[in-house]
Amino acid sequence: MALNNITLGQYYPADSVVHRLDPRIKIVLLIAVIVAIFLASNLLAFVPIAAFLVIVTRLSKVPVKMMVKGLKPLRLILILTFVLNLFFLQGETPLLNLGFAVIKKEALTMAVHYSLRLILLVLFSSLLTLTTPPITLTDGLERLLSPLRVIHFPAHEMAMMMSIALRFIPTLLEEADKIMKAQTARGADFETGNLIARAKAMVPLLVPLFVSAFRRAGDLAMAMEARCYHGGEGRTRLRVLKCQKRDYIACAVTALLIVCVVLCGKAY
Amino acid sequence: MQVTLEHVTHTYQPGSPFQSTAIEDVNLTIREGEFLALIGHTGSGKSTLAQHINGLLAPTSGRVLLDGQDIHQKGYDKREVRRKVGLVFQYPEHQLFEETVAKDVAFGPKNLGLPEAEIAERVQEALNKVGLKDKDIAEKSPFELSGGQMRRVAIAGVLAMRPRILVLDEPAAGLDPQSREEMLQLIYGLHQQGATVVMVSHSMDDVARFATRAVVMEHGTIAMDGTPEEIFRHAERLEQMGLDVPSVCKLGIRLREMGLPCPEDIFREEQAMEALLALWKEGKAHGAE
Repeated sequence: MALNNITLGQYYPADSVVHRLDPRIKIVLLIAVIVAIFLASNLLAFVPIAAFLVIVTRLSKVPVKMMVKGLKPLRLILILTFVLNLFFLQGETPLLNLGFAVIKKEALTMAVHYSLRLILLVLFSSLLTLTTPPITLTDGLERLLSPLRVIHFPAHEMAMMMSIALRFIPTLLEEADKIMKAQTARGADFETGNLIARAKAMVPLLVPLFVSAFRRAGDLAMAMEARCYHGGEGRTRLRVLKCQKRDYIACAVTALLIVCVVLCGKAY
Repeated sequence: MQVTLEHVTHTYQPGSPFQSTAIEDVNLTIREGEFLALIGHTGSGKSTLAQHINGLLAPTSGRVLLDGQDIHQKGYDKREVRRKVGLVFQYPEHQLFEETVAKDVAFGPKNLGLPEAEIAERVQEALNKVGLKDKDIAEKSPFELSGGQMRRVAIAGVLAMRPRILVLDEPAAGLDPQSREEMLQLIYGLHQQGATVVMVSHSMDDVARFATRAVVMEHGTIAMDGTPEEIFRHAERLEQMGLDVPSVCKLGIRLREMGLPCPEDIFREEQAMEALLALWKEGKAHGAE
C-alpha cells in the first residue's frame, strides 16, 4: 500500500555535524532562516540562501532524493502559485505575447520569487526533521517554551503530547496498513469507485483504527502511571542539552547569511 | 486447487535506507488437502510468505501461481484469489467494525456481490462452523463479546467467503488454554471437512498434533520442508535456529540419554504413551527375572 512513503517528518539516520547540533539551536536557526527567506526582496538575495541550503544539505549527508521527496506533496500548490502569479500580476514590461494573455517581466519575477520562497521554506523545514529525531525535536521545543511557564503555559505537557503523537504516527500507519490488508483479504476495495463509494469504504478501516488507538492510549496511560509519571515538575532528563562550539559556529554562519541577504536586497 | 510460489523474493521499501528483504527465492507448492504448518523464528518471513499466498503482497521478483495461473499477470481478477484463498491475520479480532456480528461476517460475501439470501445463508453457516450458533450472538455488537468469541467472529468473516485454502497467521496467539484448544479443534475440523490449511505457528506441540507437512523458515528462506516426523528428527538443527521440538520429542531425547531404548520417531502424545508402556512392561519383565 501507499502508506509507507511519507518523508515529511521522517528522520534520516546519519552521523553528521548537522545531526549533532543542539535541537534548540536548530529550531531557532530554522526560524532565523525563515526570516531571511522573507527578507529576501529580490532574486539575487536568494542566491546566498540557496548556497546555504546546498552546503547544509551536503554537511548533513541526507541524500538529495530524500529532500526532493518532501516537495512532492506540495507540487500542486507550487504549480498553482507559479501559474497564478505569472498570469494575474500586473506589470509594465511585456515579455511574451501568448495571444490570450501577455506575460509581463515583473509577473515572471514575482512568480519565480514566490515559488522559490515556498520551495526553500519546505526544504529547510524538512532538513530539520530529517536530521533531528522527533523525540529530540520535542525535547528542544520543550526547553525553548519553558520560560512561558511563567504565564502558565503547559510547556512540558505540550511537548509530551507532541512526542507521544509523533511516536505513534508510524505505529498507527502500520496498524492502518494491517487492517487495510485484512479487509482487502475479505474483498474490500479501497482504490476504485467514486468519492462517496471511497468514503464509505473507509468505515471498515477507520472503526478498527479508532478502537485500537483508544486501546493503545489507555494502555499507555496505565503504563505511565505505573512508572509514577506525574507531569513535568521536578523531572530530570536523560540527555541534558548543552550548547557546544559547533552550535555557536552555526549561529554565527546563520547571522552572516541574514546580513548577506539584506545586503543583496539593498544592492539592487 | 494448488498454489505454487516460484522463486519468490520480497523486499520492503526497496531503494530506501530502510530497505529489507523479508523472503528470498522461496519455492513452495501448497497441495490440495494439506495441513501445512509454517514454522520459524520471529522475523523469518512467515507472515510475508503468508501474504503472498492470496496476493495481498506482490513478489518483488518471482511468480505466484494459483492452479497454474500467474495471479499478478495483467487481467487476472484479484477477487478470484481473495475468494479462493482466505487469509486470517494475527489477532483478527482487531479488524471487526460492524454494528452486529452478523453484519460483520456478511462483509466478505457482500464484497463478492452475492444476493441477500445467499449472504444470510453463508453468515449462518460460517457462525455455525465456528461454534457461535446462538441467535442472540448474531445480533450482538462484536465489541461486547469475549476475546475468544471475537476471534471466532473474525474467522467466520473469512469462512463466509467459502475459501478453498485457509491461511491462518498464529490463530491461537494470546488465547487462554481452553479457547486455544477450541480454536485448534475448529481449524482441525475445517481441515477434516476438506479445506487446505496453512497455519503459521510457534507451538511445536500443535504442529506435531495436526500438521501433515511442516515448512521451516530461516532468514527469509525455506530451511526444511517435510512431514513433522522428518522435521522433528533434527532436534539440534531446530535448536540452532532458535526453535523448539514438541515436548514429547524432548521426553524421548531424555529417555535415550538415560540409556533407555526409546524409538526416535515419536512426537505425538499417543506414540509417547505406547513407547512408555512398552518400556514399563519391559522393565517389569526384567524385574520379574
